[in-house]
Amino acid sequence: MGHLSDAEYKSQVRAVWLATAWLSIITIIEVVIALYWLYYIDPEGSMNGSMGRYALNGFFVIASLLKAYFIVGEFMHVKYETRALAITILAPTMFLIWFVISFLWEGGAWLGLREFWGI
Amino acid sequence: MASTAVDTTSDWNGGKSPFGVSYGKLMMWYFLLSDAFTFSALLISYGALRFSAPHWADPNVVFNALPFLEGWDAPLGFVSIMTFILILSSVFVVLAVIEGHRDNKKGVLFWMTGGVIGGAMFLGCQAWEWMHLIGGLSHGHGMSFFGIDFGPGTEEYPMAFAYLFFLITGFHGFHVFSGVCLNMWAWWMTYIGEFERRNNNYEMIEKVGLYWHFVDLVWVFVFLAFYLL
Repeated sequence: MGHLSDAEYKSQVRAVWLATAWLSIITIIEVVIALYWLYYIDPEGSMNGSMGRYALNGFFVIASLLKAYFIVGEFMHVKYETRALAITILAPTMFLIWFVISFLWEGGAWLGLREFWGI
Repeated sequence: MASTAVDTTSDWNGGKSPFGVSYGKLMMWYFLLSDAFTFSALLISYGALRFSAPHWADPNVVFNALPFLEGWDAPLGFVSIMTFILILSSVFVVLAVIEGHRDNKKGVLFWMTGGVIGGAMFLGCQAWEWMHLIGGLSHGHGMSFFGIDFGPGTEEYPMAFAYLFFLITGFHGFHVFSGVCLNMWAWWMTYIGEFERRNNNYEMIEKVGLYWHFVDLVWVFVFLAFYLL
């Protein structure tokens, strides 16, 4: 079992702190935007369901996926594993895309039924 | 003789791990993949129920409290602190893994200590939040199971919100708890020199670390579903 060379060690530590900085920055941006929305744009919650709110939610989802990329890629080291291992771990999560779409669709249809029957 | 020479050209001809990792690490990955689907199912059912409800609890009203600062209205305040604690704890464990690759026992112990303390702090924060939400504090807006006040227009469907909140953060908290236990075990095994004897660059720290980062990963999506969306 070989030792890590000093140069490798330094670059790995630097990569970890860089990923940490990204995670922190993304989280801070998310919180600042959420609070800005809450206090300055829509304090009453009257824009829930509007295109603006959907755009905001889309931003939160993308920011979270970006954070997931840093955690899985850097902290869990997938970026440095073999391609085959990365695929065997990541490919099955593609099923989640349809999982999300179908169940939110189902929830929406349920709401339609509630409104139709007045319950 | 010729055939053995050909065999080495592909990762898939046998004789070595095509994924380039040990059995234990691969199985940890598969476990985490299955666990990811469990958490996804929980979070997606939260989404489906939320989409089906005409009203929903307002997270900015429910999660507005800070410890020691009773009466403050600080939406997202406490949960941001919790998020940073968990991220930092995760970072400490990555640094422990890297020190393990250098066979630096002292470094592993140092950073694993940080990881354990971070995890314990997160659990403490969660305990406070649960206490606050179940009991409610004097300024109102407690999320008890029975006397619920979630803010305007949310009288009708808050029960599902409360159940899912406690189920999902509870399941995540259970993962944090078991992760802290694993980290403490790994700390002890490092301390008594067991991993040094195995002479495999502290691979157990990597496996325990994978679990710990997964807990952090799940928190990103719990934070998204309950606090941001």
